[in-house]
This record gives sequence, C-alpha cells and structure tokens, in this order.
Amino acid sequence: MQTVRRDPAATGRAIGALLALAALWPLGHFAGVDVSLLTAPGNLHVIGGFLSGFYPPAHDAFFAGLLLDALWQTIAIASIGMLMALLLAVPLAVVTTQALSISAIGPVNCDARSRLRSLVRPVGRGLTLFLRGIPEVVWALLFVRVFGLGPSAAVLALALTYGGMLAKVFGEILDSTDRRPAQAILAAGGGRLAALFYGLLPMAASELLSYSVYRWECALRAAVVMGLVGAGGLGQLMDQSMKAFNGSEIASILMAFLALVLLADGASNLLRRWMDDVPRKEPARFNVRAMSGWLSVLLFVALIVACWRTLGLDLGALFGQQAGADVARFVGEFFPPSIKPTLLAKIASGAIETFSLSLMGTLLAALLAVVLALPAAGRHGRMAKACVRFVLNLLRAVPELVWATITVLAVGLGPFAGTLALAFHTAGVLGRLYAEALENTPPAAEAALRESGAPRALAFLYGPLPQVAPQWLAYTLYRWEINIRMAAIMGFVGAGGLGQLLHVELSLFRLANACSAIIAMLVLALVVDQLSAWLRRRLG
Amino acid sequence: MHIRLEQAGVAYGDGHAGLRALDLEIAAGEQVAIIGPSGAGKTTLLRILATALRPTTGAVFLAGEDPWTLSAKQRQRLRSKLGSIHQAPPLPPRQRVVTAVLAGRLGVWPMWKALASLAYPQDGDGARSALAHLDLTDKLYARCDQLSGGQLQRVGIARVLYQQAELMLADEPVSAMDPALADHTLAILAHDARQRGATLIASLHAVELALARFPRIVGIRDGSMLFDKPAGEVTQEDLTALYASERALPTSPAPAFAPAAPLHSF
Repeated sequence: MQTVRRDPAATGRAIGALLALAALWPLGHFAGVDVSLLTAPGNLHVIGGFLSGFYPPAHDAFFAGLLLDALWQTIAIASIGMLMALLLAVPLAVVTTQALSISAIGPVNCDARSRLRSLVRPVGRGLTLFLRGIPEVVWALLFVRVFGLGPSAAVLALALTYGGMLAKVFGEILDSTDRRPAQAILAAGGGRLAALFYGLLPMAASELLSYSVYRWECALRAAVVMGLVGAGGLGQLMDQSMKAFNGSEIASILMAFLALVLLADGASNLLRRWMDDVPRKEPARFNVRAMSGWLSVLLFVALIVACWRTLGLDLGALFGQQAGADVARFVGEFFPPSIKPTLLAKIASGAIETFSLSLMGTLLAALLAVVLALPAAGRHGRMAKACVRFVLNLLRAVPELVWATITVLAVGLGPFAGTLALAFHTAGVLGRLYAEALENTPPAAEAALRESGAPRALAFLYGPLPQVAPQWLAYTLYRWEINIRMAAIMGFVGAGGLGQLLHVELSLFRLANACSAIIAMLVLALVVDQLSAWLRRRLG
Repeated sequence: MHIRLEQAGVAYGDGHAGLRALDLEIAAGEQVAIIGPSGAGKTTLLRILATALRPTTGAVFLAGEDPWTLSAKQRQRLRSKLGSIHQAPPLPPRQRVVTAVLAGRLGVWPMWKALASLAYPQDGDGARSALAHLDLTDKLYARCDQLSGGQLQRVGIARVLYQQAELMLADEPVSAMDPALADHTLAILAHDARQRGATLIASLHAVELALARFPRIVGIRDGSMLFDKPAGEVTQEDLTALYASERALPTSPAPAFAPAAPLHSF
C-alpha cells in the first residue's frame, strides 16, 4: 500500500486560500472598504456632531405630536398593506397550490378550454415570483413617482411584494398539509372552495395565521424603511430629520422605532404562542379561549377600521380610471428597457459594486457574529450573555436601510457605508443563529479536550468549531442571498451599488433606463442564489 | 503517575450516590482493571481520576497533589498528563483523523503550533506512528464520520498514545471491537503504558479480558469496592457476588451489560 507522506488536502487548501485572498482584494476595493474612512477627521467630525446631538432626545410637545402621528401612520401602513397583500395572496395561493388540483386526481378531457385552464397555475406562479422578486422599497419608489409622497405608495408596495411572498408561503403550507381530505372532496365532485374550507383549512389555518402575524411584524419594519424614500410614516419623518441633520430628533425617532419593533415582536410572539396552544377542555358555558378569540377578532376589525381612517386612502384615486391610465402610461414608459452602451457600462459597474458590497457585508457580518456568538451562547458567563444578546437584538432590530442612513454619515456616501450597514444588521441576525447552533452542539468533544489540558481557546477550535462550522456556513450563505437583494437598494440612501443608479434614473423619469437597472437587480439576485446553492453543495 | 483516593465519594444532585467513600491507592506504572455491573460507579470513578468530576466528599491525589486545591493554571498542566479514552470517543464528525489525534497534545503545544496545525498538520509523522500501533495508518487523512465505531475507538486510543499521558484512563475502551481485536488493542495499550512507565486504569465489561490482561482487578458494586486483588486471586465467588443481584432479581429487566456470557467460562 502506498503511504501518503504529505497532507493530501494541503494543495487544495493552499489554492483555496490564495484564490480567496486574490478575490477578496478587488472585492474589498469595489465595496469601498477603507477602514481609514472610519477615523478620517472630517467624518469623525460629522458623525461626532451628529451623535452628540442625540442627547437630549427631542421631546418638545410639537415634535412628540409629529412622532406619535408618524408612529400611528406606520402601524396603519403595515396593517392596511398586509390586508391588501392578503387579498392578493389568498386567491393566488389557492390557484397555485397542488393540493387543490383536480387534474392531479385523474386524467381530464383535453379540449381547448381545459388546456387554457391548465395554464392558470404556471401563470399564477410566475406572477408570484415576479411580485416578490422586486423589493418593496423599489415598488415604493415607483409609486411615489405616480401617486406622490405619502402613505399610499407604501401601502401599494407592501400589497404587491408581501402579496407575492404570502402567496408563495401560503401555497407551500397548503402543499405540505395532508392532501387526502381535500382530494377526497374533489374526487367526490366537490368544488375547490369546498375542498379548501373543509379539507385543507382545518389543518393549515393556525400555521397560515401564525405566518401572517409574523409577516405583519416584518411589514412594520418595511413600512419604516419605505418612509425613507418618501412613502410616509416614521421613515419619512426620519428622512426629514436626517436631511436637517437634527441628531436629537433622530434619537427620539430611533427610540420610538425600537420600542415599536420590540413591542411588535412581543405581540407577535404572544399571538403566535396563543394560536399554537392546544386548546384545553373547558366547560362549554364559559370558554375563555373562544371568548378571547372573538375579542381579538373584534379588536382586529377595530384596528383595521382605525387604520383605514388614518390613511384616508382614496380608493378612487388609487384604482380609478384616471389612476389606471396614469399607471399604464407610467408602466408603458418602462418598455422597452434601454440598452444604450453607456448605460449598460454603468449598470455593469453598479452590479459589480452591489455584488462586492453584499459579499463584503456578509463576510464582515460573519466575523462580527462569530465574536458575538461565543458570549451569546453563554460561554463567558450569564452577565455577558445577557448583554451581548441585547446588543444582537439591537443590531437586528434596525433594518439595513436605516443603518445605512447612519453609516453614510460616519464614512460618507458610497459603497463602504452600504457594506457597514449590511454588516451591522446581518451580524445581529447571524450572531443569534450562530449562538443557537453553538448551544445545541454536544459538549463532549470540548470537555474531553479540556480534560486533557487544552486551553479554552484551543479546545473550542478543535472541538465545537468543526461541529458547528457547516451550519454556520449554511446560515451565512442563506443570509448572503438575502443581502444581495438588500445591497441592490442601498443606493436609495446613497450607500452605493445599483440602487444609486436606479434612484437617479427614476428621479429623472428615465424609466427605460430604470427598467434595465431593475432587470439587472433580478439577474444579480438569481446569480447569487445559484452561486450560494453551489457553494453549499460544495462545502456542505 | 501515583494515585490515591481517600474516602472519595460522589453524591449526585438527586441524592443518588455515584460512589461511596472509596479508598484506593495505585502506584506509578501499575495496570488496573475495574469491573462491576452497569451503574456500579466505574465511570464515576474514572471521571474523578480524570478531574472531570470533583468528589463531594473525601479527596483525590494525583502524583501527590489534590487537583482541586491547585490553581486553574496548575490544574491545566496536570490535566495535560491525563489521557482519557472514552467508550464513544467524542470526536467531531467532520474532523480529520490526523487532527483528532494531534489534538491529544493541545495541552503542551504552544498556541502558534496548535493554530498552525489547523491549517496544516504540524506533526503528521507523530500521528501516523500513533495510528500505526493500531493498524490505522491508512485512515490518517480520513474524516471521523467515515469510520466505524471500532475504528473510532482506536482513533481515541491513538490520541492518548500520541499524548503520552502519564495516567491513562480507559472507560470501556474496546466495547465496539470483536474479541480478537479487543484483546490485541488492550495488549498494545498495556505495552505502551509499560514502556513509558505510565499508569493504566481501564473499566471493562469483558471479565475474562480483564483477568487475562491486567495484573490487578478492582471490583465495584453500588458505588463501593467489593474486592481489590491480583488477577490470579479473583475467585468465582468474587465474581458471582459482584454480578449476583441482577440474576437474583427475576423481575428486573434484562441487564443492559454483557457479563452474562463471559461468566459461564468460569
């Protein structure tokens, strides 16, 4: 038998390391990573002046009134947006789910009409894909151009993107529930709606509701972010204060925002736990669960009505003939997408910048997350765990685009600000996931090393690290897929990448150019999805 | 390494006694087998000696020192001389065998060397020769999740051989191997310990293996020592008393350990 003297993996590792280094340098360059910017006197002066304005937070009665109005408007945008998204998503999900397929039961006759009907499902799926493929901020930016500044643009944007997302997830939930009851109803000649209500919903309802509540919580954050492009609510107020460079107002807004997010998080958790609860048998006369159920329905209706009145949406203006003509004209101007060489060159460089930005942001986030995950998993005592968990929650609660408005002040306009913003938010997400993975790792390997005298740090590197590494890697790659979409819109607040180009083109109403930029975003997102899937297979 | 237990006992949180006031002295270079039924306290005893568990009563002395009065630094230095072999070696599934074996010396390697070894194995030859004793050289660069249970146990043993521990504590080190391989592997372990003057303590379910391979036998039952004799003096009565109750109680479920079979050979 031939013995291998040299480590057979060495060559591969060396090449991999060299390639990574060779790729990292230009990526860092395109992402504008320049640590000296953080300490440049000019930037320090700007961010220092800004941060020193944080104290005391603005608390005069006039601003407090503005803030409360904006907060309530944000809640209204999220709630009404979610409602419209549901109106869009439910029919789409019912149309696309396999669980209600009649042709799946047996062969159907192949006349022209049924062939046309067989197209409904793929068309529904295509529509879903398109709707959620475009981030809500991009929709919002578009609608602000059509309907003007204010909450209507945000509501419509939420309705479209979240409609697509909900339709996809609802379809998946319906697909994954036991199909036999529904199929039995269909096979017995029942209609699709009967099969839905009697065969699928009894099993899937709680999961569907639970996911909707979670999405509502996300919609709140999205509503704030959309405000940054002028679509009303807290975000718009923040944008104004940012432009006025008013630190004390920003401090109050950020605090209000964090309170809102944490409250929504708590409320959503509470609601979902309540819904997932197995009902206890109670005397029929006084059923607390049923009572609270009806009470929450009432509350929900009241909330929707109140939100509706706040927004004062003019449905006629939004969906009437005039609006229809406006939108049609507006959409018409997008096509055909421009293919001018100068524009394509700009798009290419924007795409490279966006790609680098997403990758560097994710890598930085992963580094930061590793450092934070160790104490967050309780490896350095309970005190450190609580503190770091709080920091992680804070990092995660602030959306990327809101971070970007701050990092732009710290390092100036450009991709580095976007990289940092992505890194901060993502570090909060990954840090928590990493810590959870670490806590779930069997401790035996590390304990054995410690018992043979290995120092703590080395015992970690030789014990738990190789155990959690694949999971950490998978989380990071998934996050990268999300971040490429985020990186594409960083430019809306001046933080580099394709978004900047899109923002400029839209502002100048060069819609054919904007269309090309949007297509480039979609393509870029698909490319990264494939790359990430390949890497997961390769390294997993 | 010289070992002394003085009235050492362990009471677990639920009040259940893992070990009751045990006195035991083992000279440097001795080889001792611990036998007894499942749940008798064999693993608890080994964990006390490995300083993985602090006795709740009494004291333990390793090389004349009580590890629990040492500073953390000194205790770490002491631990680098203790090598534990586990029944199911806790090796990360995706770690390579070479790394798993080299990890035996993390307690004595300087930090830079241990870090560099993660990128490129710093002592491939050392790991190879440790594995060679166990006929596993061809698995040097395999991943741990590609090995069978018996092979994993041998990698765990190779790690301790490579560590050159002065006290080797083996908890069921050959349970996943066939009888011939188990005997061969114990012989290698004993030979290595004898050559280096290291102390070897092993808990074993296979009684005949213990009697054949170890000069001194300690029988433990219900957390107390039943006998402590040279292998030649262990009688059939000793063994019957050691494992008796499991047979006397017909209502108890079938014992999860294996001594029933070896017992008929006596």
